[in-house]
Amino acid sequence: MKLLNKNIKYYAAIAAFGLIASCKPTINIDEPASNTQVDFSKYIAIGNSLTAGYSNGGLYLSGQQNSFPNFIAEKMKRFGGGEFITPYFSEEQRNGSGYIRLKALINGAPVTESVTTNLAIRGFNEAGATLYTRYTGTDINNLGVPGMRLDMAFANGVGSVAGNPYFERLLPENAPLTTTYFDYSTSKNHTFFSFALGNNDVLGYATNGAYTDSPTNTLTSIPLFTQLYTNYINTLTTNNQKGVVATIPDVTETPFLNTVTTQLLEQGVTASTGGVFTKIWISTANGAREATSADLFALTFDTDTLGKAVVFGNPRTAGYGLLQSNPLHDKHVLDKDEVLEVKNTINAYNAAIKNIADSKGLAIADVYDFMNKVKVGYNYNGIAISNKYITGNAFSLDGIHLTPMGYAIMANIFIDAINAKYNTALEKVDATQYPAVLIP
Amino acid sequence: MKKLLLLLLFASPMLLHAQGSQVNTQGIKALGISGAGSALFVDETSIFYNPGALAKIENNAISVGASAIMYRSAFREQNSFQQYNTKFQISPPFSIFATFGPKNTWWKAGIGVYTPFGGGVNWGQEWPGKFELNHLSLRAIYIQPTLSFKLTDNFSVGGGFVYNIGMVGLSRSIPTFNDQGQPGRAELSGTGTGTGYNVGIHYNLEDKFALSLSYRSKVVTKLKDGDAEFTVPSALASSFPTTTFDAELPLPSSFNVGITFPLSEKVDFVADGTLINYSIYKSLTFNYKHNTDDVIGDDALEDTYQPKNYGNAFSTKIGVNYTPSDKLELRAGGGYVITPVKPEFVYAETPDNNRIMASVGFTYALSNKFDINGAYTFQRILQRTVTNSITGLNGTFKTNIHAPGISLTYKW
Repeated sequence: MKLLNKNIKYYAAIAAFGLIASCKPTINIDEPASNTQVDFSKYIAIGNSLTAGYSNGGLYLSGQQNSFPNFIAEKMKRFGGGEFITPYFSEEQRNGSGYIRLKALINGAPVTESVTTNLAIRGFNEAGATLYTRYTGTDINNLGVPGMRLDMAFANGVGSVAGNPYFERLLPENAPLTTTYFDYSTSKNHTFFSFALGNNDVLGYATNGAYTDSPTNTLTSIPLFTQLYTNYINTLTTNNQKGVVATIPDVTETPFLNTVTTQLLEQGVTASTGGVFTKIWISTANGAREATSADLFALTFDTDTLGKAVVFGNPRTAGYGLLQSNPLHDKHVLDKDEVLEVKNTINAYNAAIKNIADSKGLAIADVYDFMNKVKVGYNYNGIAISNKYITGNAFSLDGIHLTPMGYAIMANIFIDAINAKYNTALEKVDATQYPAVLIP
Repeated sequence: MKKLLLLLLFASPMLLHAQGSQVNTQGIKALGISGAGSALFVDETSIFYNPGALAKIENNAISVGASAIMYRSAFREQNSFQQYNTKFQISPPFSIFATFGPKNTWWKAGIGVYTPFGGGVNWGQEWPGKFELNHLSLRAIYIQPTLSFKLTDNFSVGGGFVYNIGMVGLSRSIPTFNDQGQPGRAELSGTGTGTGYNVGIHYNLEDKFALSLSYRSKVVTKLKDGDAEFTVPSALASSFPTTTFDAELPLPSSFNVGITFPLSEKVDFVADGTLINYSIYKSLTFNYKHNTDDVIGDDALEDTYQPKNYGNAFSTKIGVNYTPSDKLELRAGGGYVITPVKPEFVYAETPDNNRIMASVGFTYALSNKFDINGAYTFQRILQRTVTNSITGLNGTFKTNIHAPGISLTYKW
């Protein structure tokens, strides 16, 4: 009793502290498992524009900062991840290649404008194509190159001034023409990798209406794709390195090909011609026919050409796209047979990707599967995510690349895949902290 | 022709429903036994707990009580190490009960003004569920004139008419981002009214054993012309005009059975069971006065419907009341509440689950005329990991509630 009296103030203090402390509940979490299967100390990200953080039709500093590999690398730090270096544009040249932003909503319709200040343009090549300020920093981890294709990764000269300017800016001056992206990206002494190439082997083809008029819009054959993909992954896993590969999302489900619809075009034509014309005529492999809702148009399709005397290999007559005799050029529409061809190709690519990944014990970030969820639309923490232009929140103004929120969600697909495959406990990214399309 | 669809999906705003913040602190004596005691405490607070017992009070009394409900929730998103807490805030329910009427006769009148539902959660604008909810505050004030009659010495009945004034304020982030990347915000506030009743019967055997049955009706609170304000990028301002809204919030009926009997000369046992008919809360609909549909043929601000699909709730409370002297009563109790909220409909407004309750309390007679009552209750809403089927928010909630209360009674 004496002891109790003596210590009573301590007991009281403990009781009071307990009371205050218990006021705020604590949700107990299992201590994350230590990471024994994978070595995140040097993570490299190989890929195209999605890996680079391309958004709103351009590559620029804040997009680079919100790329999905940067999100992943940040979460790896807790589990032995090392420094993750991105070839950022400087603050002074923060707008990089330039990009588009929303200028206004006029009667609710989005009007975009180009950002042309603080660019990182250092000049132009002989063909007049843009060259960007060379990145001169230390060895980088985010190797994402907008426009990079699997076939081009093995091609000489792609890193030259005549090639891909985003790859060119990463290479030292006067790099030999034989420096391929494959060689460049597989010589980084990585311990872990993410691999997200292959999209552009079908994307350029699809967005050009399945019409090939340049190396950037050819369709890589399935055998070639499989062979190159296998080579790449074999090399990346030479020392039993672990990694995560991404499947190819279905480009025909992006806002880029689902915003300007046949129905919208017909409504516009009907209204502007007072009902004289009501249908859109397109060129297909089987000749000209009226467009249906199964035929897809690009977001960038210039609707002002409709009905004009526009020539794309067609006779110079007026009524472009409105007459059976002057249908839209093949490259201005991805008709339903071409849609099927694109879908089948993507499925075949993905089957190959999964095969190779499984044989090497790699994690698979099934972006294709996720895109199917986005197509239907779902709610993420109260935010409607869909493939709707602007209001779907995932896609940026270019209709193909993602918003910061979209990239954060994409990072979580990779994180989930890595955690599932390697029994790691990478934390997911809180995508609600990142914006979707910015509205003035 | 480059007109493109711009649909601003304005996912439903939502209202706190009562259960999550319901802490019954109307009577400080009952609070000391986690809400049990409707059969034992025959006093002015019977206006709330059982109007049927009122006629058995021999004197007249007025009591004024207040409590400080400290409601603190935590959330951790699935596969995240970050815990978010609601901001610390004290919601101060109050109650006033007064009886009128001649002594030692067969009837008694009374009036009660109390707050059966009330409280608030403020998750702030940074947490992962901000597009579901920023903050919500709800207060329902019931005004209840009451009459009670003794049919026999042991058996009495009573009833009261309930007029409810409900006040609600809520805000949430909306997924429109300005050129700085900041999300928009919706803020709604309104006041509504509703009516209902409260009836009960009380039966006792020579002050030893007593039985209490009471029923409180549902009170459908209709909010009319509440204020709705939106902070959105300026290009969207005309699509989100400041407007008004109507909504209907059904506060549930409840049926309560209470018993008491002595365990010894100085110790009484009490137990109460309450069935709360929350299943009437099926959905919440907001009707905005101005709907905007001029954003490329689509709606920006449209009426919203949100399923709630509550089940019924059941609570049991037991405890003891110890009377060591004429001047002092001590009491303690505990209870368990089965939540009406189904896992897929757990919203941040009411991160509810089954809860456990423990309480202590006292009554001290300052004089023949003055009593002071004090109580302290702790409630834990058990940890619950859910995925909301509407918003998709996926994570774990846990809530602690601390509520001290005090009341002063003057008898004559």
